[in-house]
Amino acid sequence: MPAIPSVEAMHSTPSGASSAGSPVVARVEALAKAYGSGTGRVTALADVSIGIRRGQFTAIMGPSGSGKSTLMHIMAGLDSPTSGRAWLGDTEISALGDTELTVLRRRRVGFVFQAFNLVPTLDVSGNILLPFELDGRRPSSEEQAWIDRLVDSLGLRDRLRHRPHQLSGGQQQRVAIARALATRPDLVFADEPTGNLDSRTGREVLALLSAASQDYGQSIAMVTHDPVAASYADRILFLADGRLVEDRGRASAEQISAFMLAMERAA
Amino acid sequence: MSRLKDHAPSVLVAGISAAFGVALLRVTAVIGTAAAADSATSGETAGLVLGVVAAVFIVIAMYVAAIVTANTFSTILAGRTRTIALRRLLGSTASAERRAVAGEGLVVGVVGSLLGLAVGTAVAAGLTALAVALGHLPDLDYGVVDGSAALPVIAVALTTWLASWVGSRRVLDVTPMQALGGAQERTGAEAAGRGRRATALVLVLVGLGLVGLGVVLGLISPLGVLVGLIGGILSFTGLVTGSAWVMPPALRLVGRLFGGSAAARLAAENALRYPERSSRTTIGLVIGVTLITMFAVGTESLAQIIRAIDGGSGDLDAMLTTTVTVLSVLLGFSALIAAIGMVNNLFLSVLQRTRELGLLRALGFTAAQIRRMILAESAQLTLAALLVGVALGTFYGWAGAQALLGSVNGAPGLVLPGMPWPVLTALAAGSALLTWVASLAPSRRATRVSPIAALAVS
Repeated sequence: MPAIPSVEAMHSTPSGASSAGSPVVARVEALAKAYGSGTGRVTALADVSIGIRRGQFTAIMGPSGSGKSTLMHIMAGLDSPTSGRAWLGDTEISALGDTELTVLRRRRVGFVFQAFNLVPTLDVSGNILLPFELDGRRPSSEEQAWIDRLVDSLGLRDRLRHRPHQLSGGQQQRVAIARALATRPDLVFADEPTGNLDSRTGREVLALLSAASQDYGQSIAMVTHDPVAASYADRILFLADGRLVEDRGRASAEQISAFMLAMERAA
Repeated sequence: MSRLKDHAPSVLVAGISAAFGVALLRVTAVIGTAAAADSATSGETAGLVLGVVAAVFIVIAMYVAAIVTANTFSTILAGRTRTIALRRLLGSTASAERRAVAGEGLVVGVVGSLLGLAVGTAVAAGLTALAVALGHLPDLDYGVVDGSAALPVIAVALTTWLASWVGSRRVLDVTPMQALGGAQERTGAEAAGRGRRATALVLVLVGLGLVGLGVVLGLISPLGVLVGLIGGILSFTGLVTGSAWVMPPALRLVGRLFGGSAAARLAAENALRYPERSSRTTIGLVIGVTLITMFAVGTESLAQIIRAIDGGSGDLDAMLTTTVTVLSVLLGFSALIAAIGMVNNLFLSVLQRTRELGLLRALGFTAAQIRRMILAESAQLTLAALLVGVALGTFYGWAGAQALLGSVNGAPGLVLPGMPWPVLTALAAGSALLTWVASLAPSRRATRVSPIAALAVS
């Protein structure tokens, strides 16, 4: 079994490309991000080095302003770091231009946002197939079989011709999950995916994400401040004030809450 | 102040139509004065006829301006829904909100028409001085203003006010609930009432029947053109009234022409997202294109018939070319007003789709694909207006010529419509230019959207 690099290990091996069989699907190294300048300068991330393991469901936690969203944006190729480097697989994304990043997001990254996930003018089917259409191609027969399987397992078969406004919040989020998984991306980013849902629907969505990771080996990175959401993950990374403060395995919602409270008191 | 910026295009539209009205009436008065000095007998009649013709073109321009303004107000209000909902939540009544919007409309109308008065008077004075200097007009004292200028100024202020009232109807549908949290963005479902649809259908059917009758009567007597004229006015009014049912199919058809790429398909859907809004955006252009095409096809068809009768002459062609050019320029102002409305509406609709554009960028739409999408949206609007307008204009122009001269001794009975290719080419070029110009600002804005900012939960 290959050694799984810890945070410390990432620090000790600061460079070198990862191979396709690497246990790490995405990583960042000495990442820093600051907004503004002079006295208005705000540091969102300060020297963060993290590896996201392939096939795992990873939660990135932290209070508001901890830098967790900024970290996700940079890892997903939506934002660029002030300093440091970021990789997705073997690709150093911190070195890519806008068009290359766009194509990378289209082909190798999936997204589930808190709200406004779907294009209102497209029906469910059109939304799920959007990443393929942006690439100017139709899904291959193998990909189509995979999409059919996703549609069935997410219970969307009867909804394919519906527009987003005809769906409930939970159904919309399931469409977003189907779209995110459809291209079998290297990594799916979920940004507070349950933030707009009632707790029962939220748990359903989390169970679906967890199942995608367990059953299909899909790597998922989820940003959240909700201990219940994080308790579905295989691994939990805690951020505070732009730094990584804790990296632990699966934990219950109670344990996570307790740790976060302790963190608050220490601050 | 953002409200002032919101209304800049409406002030421009009101200003242009007022300036056009003031200048046209002024020029008419000047020509009338010159004609009266030339031959004391016919001057009065010539002035009257010119005045009536000028009034027709001014009313057309004002009508198009009113449609554009109503549409602009309705689009602006769609973007203000959250603010209005918050005010409703805090206790403001729906009718008070609507009155406030109409108040903005009155200010827009007054400011625009006064600016138009200044510009129109200056332009007319300049043209008069130029014509005198070139020797086309006798050097008389024409004055600078006359009382007739008050008519377009007051009329434009009032129609702008009325248009803002019509465009603010949707304020009544805003509920206080919409201020609370992420109301889902809805599409479509703006369809107008059934009564309007029936009215439009009756007008179109009766009107077309009369146009047909006019063409048939025209084979016997030139008076057929009067029956045809009434039919034309009725059927075209019907089409404009029912534009919400006429334009969407045309837009859908044109949308298919752009192929099946993601950018083209999304563009096609976007143009149909608010069918009533797109219909009103395009119907102004349709009116302009139809009228220009109608006069051009009409004169070309007349020329065909006259050539068939007497072999034609160079004088006739020169006269017809001058007539078509003058009419096209006069109608061009209406088309310009409609074009401003289209540019502004495309920009506002992109502005209101910021989050959606952010989502598309996050999912892998390149900046080039976004630009193509907006260009396709713009092309779809202008091309649909051009096709519908040319088709209608060709029909009306041909029917008019046929009804007027079909019975003249030696006329060849039914003729094919004469196609005025220079005018049609100019219309096509104008549409291409409009497509490109209208897409510039929205493209720049849309490609600058950061997916992070757009998708941040507000």
